[in-house]
Amino acid sequence: MQIAVKNISKDFGKKKTAVHAIKDISLEVEQGEFLGIMGPSGAGKTTLLNMISTNARPDHGQIIIDGLDLTQFHDRDQAKYRRNKMGFIYQSFELLDSLNVKENVILPLALNRSNKKLIEERFTYMMNLLNIEELSGRAIDELSLGQRQIVAAARALINNPEILFADEPTGSLDSKSATILLNYMQMINQKERTTILMATHDAFTASYCSRVIFVKDGVVFSEIVNPGQRDKFFEQIINMQRTIGGGDYFNVSQNY
Amino acid sequence: MYRKIIRRSLSNMRDSYLIYILACSFAIGVFGILISMGDNPSLRNALRLWDTFIYDITVTMSGLFAFCAFVYMIYVGGFFIKQQRNEFLTFEKLGMPRWILVAIGFFQTAIVQALAWLIGIGLTLIFQKFMGMMLFYLMGVRFNFAMHISLNDLWLLLEIFVFSTLVLSIINAIKTMRILQKKQRKVIIKTRWWLRIPAGAFGILLLFSAQICTFYLFKDMRMISYSSKPLIEIVYIMGADIFGTYLVYFGFLPTILNVMQKIHSVAYSGVNIFSFKYMKERLFQNISILWFVTELSALALALLTFCYFGYQAVHQNYNSAYPFELAANKDTVKVIREELQKNNAKIKGRYKTEVKINLVSYYSKSNESYVRQPMTFMSYSAYKSLPKRMRKGNSKINSHQFLKIDYNSSLMYNNPTSEHNIEVKNAPMIQDAKMGYSFPYGSSMHFGPMMIVPNKYYQKMPAEVKDTFYGWDFKKGDRLSHDQLERLGGYRDAYYMKVDFKSSLEKSNIEVMKKEPNKYEAATYTQAGFLRQGNLKKRFNQGGGFYLFIVALFSVALLVALGSVLTLRVLLRDDYQSRQLRTLQKIGVEESEIKGIVRRENTLTFLIPIIFALIQSYTSIAMFDFGHHMSKNIILIYGGYVVLYSLFGVISYQVSWRGVKQKFNL
Repeated sequence: MQIAVKNISKDFGKKKTAVHAIKDISLEVEQGEFLGIMGPSGAGKTTLLNMISTNARPDHGQIIIDGLDLTQFHDRDQAKYRRNKMGFIYQSFELLDSLNVKENVILPLALNRSNKKLIEERFTYMMNLLNIEELSGRAIDELSLGQRQIVAAARALINNPEILFADEPTGSLDSKSATILLNYMQMINQKERTTILMATHDAFTASYCSRVIFVKDGVVFSEIVNPGQRDKFFEQIINMQRTIGGGDYFNVSQNY
Repeated sequence: MYRKIIRRSLSNMRDSYLIYILACSFAIGVFGILISMGDNPSLRNALRLWDTFIYDITVTMSGLFAFCAFVYMIYVGGFFIKQQRNEFLTFEKLGMPRWILVAIGFFQTAIVQALAWLIGIGLTLIFQKFMGMMLFYLMGVRFNFAMHISLNDLWLLLEIFVFSTLVLSIINAIKTMRILQKKQRKVIIKTRWWLRIPAGAFGILLLFSAQICTFYLFKDMRMISYSSKPLIEIVYIMGADIFGTYLVYFGFLPTILNVMQKIHSVAYSGVNIFSFKYMKERLFQNISILWFVTELSALALALLTFCYFGYQAVHQNYNSAYPFELAANKDTVKVIREELQKNNAKIKGRYKTEVKINLVSYYSKSNESYVRQPMTFMSYSAYKSLPKRMRKGNSKINSHQFLKIDYNSSLMYNNPTSEHNIEVKNAPMIQDAKMGYSFPYGSSMHFGPMMIVPNKYYQKMPAEVKDTFYGWDFKKGDRLSHDQLERLGGYRDAYYMKVDFKSSLEKSNIEVMKKEPNKYEAATYTQAGFLRQGNLKKRFNQGGGFYLFIVALFSVALLVALGSVLTLRVLLRDDYQSRQLRTLQKIGVEESEIKGIVRRENTLTFLIPIIFALIQSYTSIAMFDFGHHMSKNIILIYGGYVVLYSLFGVISYQVSWRGVKQKFNL
């Protein structure tokens, strides 16, 4: 077991008007697992993901990764851990407009002060792996949304993260770009044994996962394990979405 | 709904608004104090000596101050509207009528201005007494400063408030309108390296040449009375500094950052990969402001330099003209002593020195001509027995050396350090004499130059006229009444010397006349009977204090204006710039590293203008050519300015970091 989340909770707002975003959630994630976190908008998916990735601190509970309780870490150590062990893909890409594609991709390595040779090697490898060699000198403004997300994925993966966090990675993409990205993610999950935690409200996107947990009103409502067949898994996800409310067949991509 | 929009935008930019409101309040407060001080009854009563001068100056200064503050408000007030650009455009897209957005811009400004005026008037009321007391303290006046604001002043303040708020609100409403009309934003900054690189190189060349020219100016300033070279140099230095600085900001600094960014071994290390580009972007955005602040800082420093040296010049002239509170010669000493006995003046120190007057002839280096004139001679031991202040501006001499004290030695331009071959009637020629400008007993006691000579020389030399000078220092003044002074009026001139120059000095002689000649001839000299500091001392101290008060007030106001402009430029980042810092945090950049980026940005914004301003203002020191002995005070003045300026840098950094951190927690 790589990640153990124990009884975490998180409130937002002041005492009287506080919103309980996460209420006493516990879960475990194995190494190399592709875990989906689903739920309707406002269910607490992103909050849960942010807490596991140390981008937000829980009010209560523990987050243990590789045997280390990250909630006890100082902000500075959390940032270091985040930089070395984790990769991030966001719906809004979070690319730095002032940097070009290459600079965006190599950013995590540069931040780690890796040597130039390693930077160039890893960059070439990632660009080949994701098949985006021709984008390397381009400015971010010149890329399509799909290309931006692939670049964001390349940045997330360049320093071989042990855990990849993806928050609605296909949210801004058309179905074709979404499929390409998801295939890459699956490939990385299988080839590099990278653990992936992905928050999504889209059943098609979730069907790439090996397990999906459903969050509603800040608690884990249910979970489904991929039986090995994606179409069957997809049906199960849709049914569960129907049960909890917040998803239906209209979320299904035409490409499926 | 509209009230909510205004409230939210005021709350979102509260740090920036707070700085702006405080800066405006300070300006309004100072303006209110100046305007109300002019017709304050206690000021009028305490400073009768100055008649309407103080009132005229405070009114003029408050007018000048109001104008500068108004320009500042127009310029800086526009930052906030610019910052709300995206918000206004979104509201318009959502269907909000344009006139409502314009009205929001108008009322927002009006609210902020009203708040600033409210605090400003409050500051006037609270600090008027304090500032008045400070003015009295600086002027050395012992008088109770009573707080007073006349109805006229209040009405005037109210009128200015209404007028300025209306104008500023209309200007910001127009700015809002223009934002809505020009929807396309010029986001892309053209790098144009083909222009920036040569421009930057030329800028550096200009600044470098200005520094070399400044070096020459130090030498050439003494020629200003007869050569146009120093003036040409000053004009060149000013032009080269002003344009050179802009070109350096436009081309050189971005090029340096660009080069750093291209060196992968440097750029691909830590946050440098981001910070070089980020800072370059911020630099591109702020070139004009940085330049503007640099030039105004240089101007402020130059003004402080001029003021300092100007004050020094007046102070020195005063001191060299009136070193004793009261001075007299042998003809007037008796009557003055009698008057002093009558009013029980407390004498702190009394001095008496014998002098000889003889004829001399020499070639004057400063006038570049031969001079024949009477000269007062004093022995070395008599000179040394006088208080040290009498020798302040003179070269140091030993008991075997000669010292010539002359009016020509001015504060502004260095005279030759020595004079040679001075012929003295019936005495050995003086081969070499050092120079000075501090006359013992005051320059006004002397009709011409004087010479300090070795004791032996003095004893042996003949005299055309013999005299004795007397000097007194008092505790709390000489207490001479108006009537006493009227009685002493007849003794102002002790005697007159008519010189009859012949073919040689030996044949020439001086005729002493007790009565004023009916017809003054070129060779007639007057020996002063007595000299009194009296009212002049009071006037000098009060004038100096008032001058110091005004200069300090304006310097601080300028500093507040410049500091707040820079702080607001740092704080009012574009949304996407703040977002980028947040992205860095999300992908694992430590807070300390992001703090480092904010620190670098602040350093770039604050440090560079002050460095360039200091370099430029150095020229103003060169214009006075004082040499190194004056530099300590100037360093203190400059140091004070830099410390206060840095204070803004530190505050700006703290507030800026607070703003960034707040966004991290969202």
